[in-house]
Amino acid sequence: MTTFTVDFDPNNPDLTDDTWTQNEIFLQVFNSGDGELFNALYREDSISNFSGEPLTGEARLKFFKEFLATKPKLEAKVTFHYTAGDVALIGVDYAIDGVNAEGEPFHLEGVCTDVLVKGEDGRWLMAIDRPVAKSGLVA
Amino acid sequence: MTQLTNDVEKHTALYVEAFNRGDADAVNAFYTDEAVAVWEPGKPLTGQARIDSVKEFLSFGPKMTAVPRQSFVTKDTALLIVDWSIETVDEDGNPETLKGVGVDVLRLGADGNWRYAIDDPYGQAE
Repeated sequence: MTTFTVDFDPNNPDLTDDTWTQNEIFLQVFNSGDGELFNALYREDSISNFSGEPLTGEARLKFFKEFLATKPKLEAKVTFHYTAGDVALIGVDYAIDGVNAEGEPFHLEGVCTDVLVKGEDGRWLMAIDRPVAKSGLVA
Repeated sequence: MTQLTNDVEKHTALYVEAFNRGDADAVNAFYTDEAVAVWEPGKPLTGQARIDSVKEFLSFGPKMTAVPRQSFVTKDTALLIVDWSIETVDEDGNPETLKGVGVDVLRLGADGNWRYAIDDPYGQAE
């Protein structure tokens, strides 16, 4: 069972309206290796570009499960953030270290633009992520 | 989803049209009430300050071209990456070209219209 050092309920994911908390939850859930839980930070119709192409719904879940199964480690630092009512745009510098299917280590880094929205139930979730890698593959 | 993408891309073209007409009221209608615009890096504007800034900027008669590079459209939220440039004049009346890669966040309103929620024209480095 993964423990989180930030206020987070895995049964009712909420990235909150606080930028630091959003980033911290995102990192800790990613680094837990639980692709299904990570997918729960997104809405059904949300778009993730982590794989290098825009994925939504089942295809996104499938990718997250495969990608996180090898427990890559994500680090991210917020570089800017703007909130306009029930939508927020945040920019982060990120780096991911992991091991590929052949057992070889890989390193990715770049900048990522994230759009978060507050749903009618008051929870903030990811709507769109768009990483742009400076080195290595897109992710 | 294709239909929404088309609508969003049409939104950019309609915005440019209103901008190039110098119609500040029409341009401001493209934004949500709570919208944030970052026309000067690091200086987000909201509310009346944002509205007034459009009027002042358009008084120089600027002309914009904008081409969406990428669009990501969910049912009620969209992210557009836009290559844009503006021909205008500076405070001394000398020609000036501004350009950048904009990061725009749009929301679909209850009335079925897309509006800018966050307009960050220098949101991406290249």
